[in-house]
Amino acid sequence: MLDHDVILTMKGIEIQFPGVKALDGVDFSLRRGEVHALLGENGAGKSTLIKCLTGVNKMDAGRIELEGREIRPTDPKNAMDLGISTVFQEVNLCENLSVAENIFIGRQPMKRGQIDWKEINRRSAELLERFHVHIDVTRPLSQFSTAIQQMVAIARAVDVDAKVLILDEPTSSLDSDEVERLFDVMRDLKAQGMGIIFITHFLDQVFEMSDRMTVLRNGRLVGVFNANELTKLDLVSTMIGKDLDQIFDLKRAVQKEGAGEMLRAEHIGVPGKVEDISFSQKKGELLGFAGLLGSGRTETAEMIFGVSKAQDGTLTIDGRTVKISEPMDAINNKIAFCPEDRKRDGIIGDLTIRENIALALQARRGMMKPMTRKEQDELADKYIKMLAIATPDAEKKIRELSGGNQQKVILARWMATDPDLLILDEPTRGIDVGAKAEIQRLMLEMCENGMSIIFISSELDEIIRCSNRIIVMRDGKKAGELNGEGCTQADIMRVIAGEKDGETA
Amino acid sequence: MRKSKESIFKNKLVWAVIAELLILAVAGILEPNFFKIEFNQTTGMLYGSLIDIINRSAEITIIAMGMTMVIALGGTDISVGALVAVAGAFALKFLRWDVTQYPTPGDYTVKPFIFVILVPLVICTLMGLFNGVLIGKFKLQPIIATLILMVAGRGIAQIATNGKQFTTGYTPFRFIGQGSMLGLPFPIIITIVVCAAVMIFVRKTAFGTFVESVGINPSASRVTGLKSDRIIMIVYTLTGFLSGIAGLIYSSRISSCDSNNAGVNYEMDAILAVVLGGTSMTGGKFSLTGTIVGSLIIRTITTLVYYFGITSESIMAFKAAIILVVIVIQSEPVGRWLATRQARKQKVGELHG
Repeated sequence: MLDHDVILTMKGIEIQFPGVKALDGVDFSLRRGEVHALLGENGAGKSTLIKCLTGVNKMDAGRIELEGREIRPTDPKNAMDLGISTVFQEVNLCENLSVAENIFIGRQPMKRGQIDWKEINRRSAELLERFHVHIDVTRPLSQFSTAIQQMVAIARAVDVDAKVLILDEPTSSLDSDEVERLFDVMRDLKAQGMGIIFITHFLDQVFEMSDRMTVLRNGRLVGVFNANELTKLDLVSTMIGKDLDQIFDLKRAVQKEGAGEMLRAEHIGVPGKVEDISFSQKKGELLGFAGLLGSGRTETAEMIFGVSKAQDGTLTIDGRTVKISEPMDAINNKIAFCPEDRKRDGIIGDLTIRENIALALQARRGMMKPMTRKEQDELADKYIKMLAIATPDAEKKIRELSGGNQQKVILARWMATDPDLLILDEPTRGIDVGAKAEIQRLMLEMCENGMSIIFISSELDEIIRCSNRIIVMRDGKKAGELNGEGCTQADIMRVIAGEKDGETA
Repeated sequence: MRKSKESIFKNKLVWAVIAELLILAVAGILEPNFFKIEFNQTTGMLYGSLIDIINRSAEITIIAMGMTMVIALGGTDISVGALVAVAGAFALKFLRWDVTQYPTPGDYTVKPFIFVILVPLVICTLMGLFNGVLIGKFKLQPIIATLILMVAGRGIAQIATNGKQFTTGYTPFRFIGQGSMLGLPFPIIITIVVCAAVMIFVRKTAFGTFVESVGINPSASRVTGLKSDRIIMIVYTLTGFLSGIAGLIYSSRISSCDSNNAGVNYEMDAILAVVLGGTSMTGGKFSLTGTIVGSLIIRTITTLVYYFGITSESIMAFKAAIILVVIVIQSEPVGRWLATRQARKQKVGELHG
């Protein structure tokens, strides 16, 4: 392609954070009508590069050119005015405002000195039509699913006359249908000549959508590749710079003969959410939960852990019938739970890694039996080492860590309580390939040591790779049960689609 | 391992201490006698502006200990001032010089003295629990929940004393606010004991961490097994109890109860002390030491203003001006600005050094 096709260039970008060089001489260029994937592990510098482009972080060196003119974005608003629009990973909209207000906030069309609501609502509905989203735009955003909220965020970004659109993990909370819809929209925008920077952890999507990819590692540029130049495996090894064998050589935990029963759920449910769920799990078994978003996987986990109270049915743990009405009851029964929404239900952002790791254990011991500082330090150091949490020390605030490392800290918090049953709800969402493989390996290791694990994931391949048995959920009910061994993605999909009920293993 | 440390310019406690020292320095320059402390042989007590500042800050310091954790939980308690009035009213109800019964001063109707102390404290503690239940169990917004007792508390105090102002000359009661021990005014002794007790409770148990955790992320705290409603109730109950102690000190100082004027604006001063001490109104990490310094700043300003004979009408404005300066210096943008400046200087130093 010719040089004048280039819409955006970044040259020799450097950013220094206290103690680390977050970006070290990174170059990046984007062409008109191109989807350009920005890839790398967590902490590789993808977000920092984006933040630099949107004016959140200030560059220490380097030059940004948009359509040949040098720009220095001062803040996201300024970047947007220049034509650089961003949809961030965490939807940052106002949940209590209506959909239409969210789309037009800060740039409401006026009519005779007053906000023209009719126009706002009409144009919002029209805009969302383009995404095949048909909703009442006057209703508050909070009434819609995360997927819809994501669409609204994209609609808002696209409507402001952007030349460059940045999509930071736009698909991590969407199901496959919604992803397809988003891709259609991306193709549309591409055809109109917009340059799209696409950040995602889903490698399939990278290959499906992108024309070129730029790979970063440890704040440095590794290379720029055309999409047809690389295989998926090449890409992964480029990203992590590590031998691939250790990642894909995962073996399902061997089910021990004659292992006792860990958990038995009989007809448990919360009317209106999940109903009539029955299953059992052996000691040392890794039980996968598959199903679409909203199919009741998370709700089932929350019931077992007491986040929401089961209204019906009985729960038997290790042979004892138990009543679990709040998380503490579950913790006392040696159950642990890593929630899906890490930011809302997992991390205590302003507390240190040490405090975050010690918290669950401390909660179980009770307020009056505090852990000494020495105990806490030892606990934190032990898990930082064991889980290879990337941090200079245990006194860093957890919110300053990358997503994968935050997830490891939450995992450490629960491993410290020495649970018999560990529930992991999407533990690998939004984290990079390397960390993902590490977490999978840890799960299998823990199962080998006799821990039972419930593993919820939207990614079928990792469910199949790790689980001894798989429970498939559909519409708040259990749709089927499959054996992990010999199961294919198509098998699971057929059960999800309701073509056949899975045979009981 | 390298320890993660923030720039000291971002540490609000440091700024609070600097502010307090600056205000004292100004006082010292303008009036060298400001720091003079004398020992009075007859009363066996130390006298001086500094002693006076600590003595007079007792009520706010004690209340603000509880308020610190209320704010760390992301709440506020605006009923503390009314509770000060309640404590005074009930203390004087059981202890008064009844003019009609005893025409000569010196004779008193005194219920067992322990009642005089315990009943007000129990009542204030229960009122604190009432706040805690509304906020912890019924999930009311703290400002609304505590507004109830802010209004009703003074009413209850009026009812307890039949709308009258009682006075007392009973020495054991007057000792609380006017007596001395180890050469210090007794309120200072009470403050030291209370602050030490609260600090030990908070930092030597896991309570402080639990409060911070719930304040930062209630949802995650619940999933981690913390019983946030119980923690909320303990904090508000404790604040009620501490307000009761402050109420006893106050009514003992003036040897009477005054349902209308006792503890007026104490909630504002207590909140201000907490904020000056570096605890954020959004909740989360808190500093009890900071709060003590904050309370001292407020009282130092007031004392300073009186000392230099500034008219009482302008006191409020004067106080506000100084507080404004302190809070702006503590604010995040200023802290960040100073931190970057410091970092740049270091960098330049490294290059040239």
